[in-house]
Amino acid sequence: MTTKQYFHAIDLINEKCKGCMHCVRICPTEALRIRDGRVHLDHTRCVDCGKCIGVCPFGAIVATSDPLSMINDFKYKVAIISTPFAGQFTEDIDYSTTIKALYHLGFDKVIEESMATNIMTKMKRHYIAEHKNIRPILSSNCPAVIRLIQVRFPSLLPNIFHVEAPMSVLSMYYREKYSKIQNLSPSDIGVFLIVPCIAQVAAVHQPQGAYKRIQEGAIAIRDIYNSVRNDLSTIRYLNYDFITHEKGLSRALSGQEADEVGNNKIRTIAVNGIENVIEILQKVEDHILDQYDYIVLRSCTSGCVGGILNVENPFIARSRIQSLIRNAEHHDHELDPIFSSYLNGEFDVLPLEPRSIMQLDKDMKQAIIKMKRLNEIKEQLPLIDCGACGTPNCQALAEDIVQGKASIEDCVILLKKNKNKNDD
Amino acid sequence: MAEYWNITENAQVNFEKFKKEKPEPEMSITYKVGHKDFVNSGKASSEIKLMLKRLGVNPEILRRVAVASYEAEINVTAHSIGGNIICDIYLDCVHIKFKDNGPGIKSLEKALEPGWSTADDLVREMGFGAGLGLPNIKKNSDIMHIDSEESKSTLLEIIIFY
Repeated sequence: MTTKQYFHAIDLINEKCKGCMHCVRICPTEALRIRDGRVHLDHTRCVDCGKCIGVCPFGAIVATSDPLSMINDFKYKVAIISTPFAGQFTEDIDYSTTIKALYHLGFDKVIEESMATNIMTKMKRHYIAEHKNIRPILSSNCPAVIRLIQVRFPSLLPNIFHVEAPMSVLSMYYREKYSKIQNLSPSDIGVFLIVPCIAQVAAVHQPQGAYKRIQEGAIAIRDIYNSVRNDLSTIRYLNYDFITHEKGLSRALSGQEADEVGNNKIRTIAVNGIENVIEILQKVEDHILDQYDYIVLRSCTSGCVGGILNVENPFIARSRIQSLIRNAEHHDHELDPIFSSYLNGEFDVLPLEPRSIMQLDKDMKQAIIKMKRLNEIKEQLPLIDCGACGTPNCQALAEDIVQGKASIEDCVILLKKNKNKNDD
Repeated sequence: MAEYWNITENAQVNFEKFKKEKPEPEMSITYKVGHKDFVNSGKASSEIKLMLKRLGVNPEILRRVAVASYEAEINVTAHSIGGNIICDIYLDCVHIKFKDNGPGIKSLEKALEPGWSTADDLVREMGFGAGLGLPNIKKNSDIMHIDSEESKSTLLEIIIFY
């Protein structure tokens, strides 16, 4: 994993990279370049959306997450499973069996993210009513979206729902609870998230706006998946005492959160897929969506079931989760104290900081000079976005040239043209 | 011939200086606005906002530029037979001119009244025409100037200082 100024849950494996441009083209923040035939990542621009990992044909970009063995360093081990986990297994494996599997793997307590869905809805409605001067409020629980806003839409940072995400709320609540019950120091409790995407891994290691790190690690759903499948025959017959909370699994599915928070007074939009998120954020920035109260934004197609650390196809996972929700009983449970903690501000986050990549220069005079040069360079370039120079498009090459990161000779088309001219 | 000026108090000194020195713009970009082309309307103001963002103009100023120029662009689309938007960028302000090719504003006084609108059915169907265009532009700009003659053309220009 990379730990520079910005943490990213991505590893670049240089020997495997063939310089093919798939990743460079798909990156929504233009964070990747091919230089000297190898991929390079701009750490400021990357938002950990994971799209590059999915398209690399050579396995040169890999997702990173924490190993399960990490839990052994703690006296009491808590797993918090994110909602997409439930959609990964074929229907012959009960949801409760998959939870038993986590106990079998060594966790002392397994908490479902879905337990917090109801209480989070209540918190969001309260927050929306309390912040009438800010419209629209933007959902906060997709870490890739938060980073995207920091990087490309810093003016919208105040619009973000400034409260911890459900798994962090649960982490704080249960760490305190089990350190009391078990009579252990809070640092003896290891809280681990079972996550569907690298944005969640990055968020655990470098939380934005949090006062301190909330969890000890983030383990990939696909790693747990393998252990569950391998040990199925044993796990089925184990006995653990717990109830399941399928109703709240709706959080895994884009659209459902917006439906749950929305009512006659709260107008909502649900957006998924990072390109769509960018389009909507541009409209928010232009103030043409001010009549909406709450917008749910998810970087992955179909929402969290589309995360890169899942195993199952997002549409199939979605269907399974929907059927679990339909057949679920509703459990009102012990989480009421969470709402009063929320009212006390215990889950507030610090104002999110911008890390803007938009400004051409800190000094406006310089920025104007660069903008003019950028336009001049663009007029010379062929504007066919062939990518042979290793940048995603001609505009990006022009910017790289202005910023001193590339030169006009990198343009293969121009080079060929000039060569032909010289040959004549 | 009707003319209207709105100069906010805070901007007076800067504006006097601007008129006296008549600086050359650092950059000038022209956009075309088509007659009732609602599909593309809003693109010019979006591009202006993006450009200023890249120059490092602060978010609150960007917000005002975005709102004022979007409203003005929609006005040209909805009420005129098309025209041009010229965006002049200076080191301390942005000056945006919306020049249309007619037909001019019948009653400027009424057009400035919140809620007054001459929008036709097509425009209202598109969700515009609430009569808040000009008042909104006025609210979000430091200087607003309108010069219009009935059955001729209209010039609306705004200046926003950073």
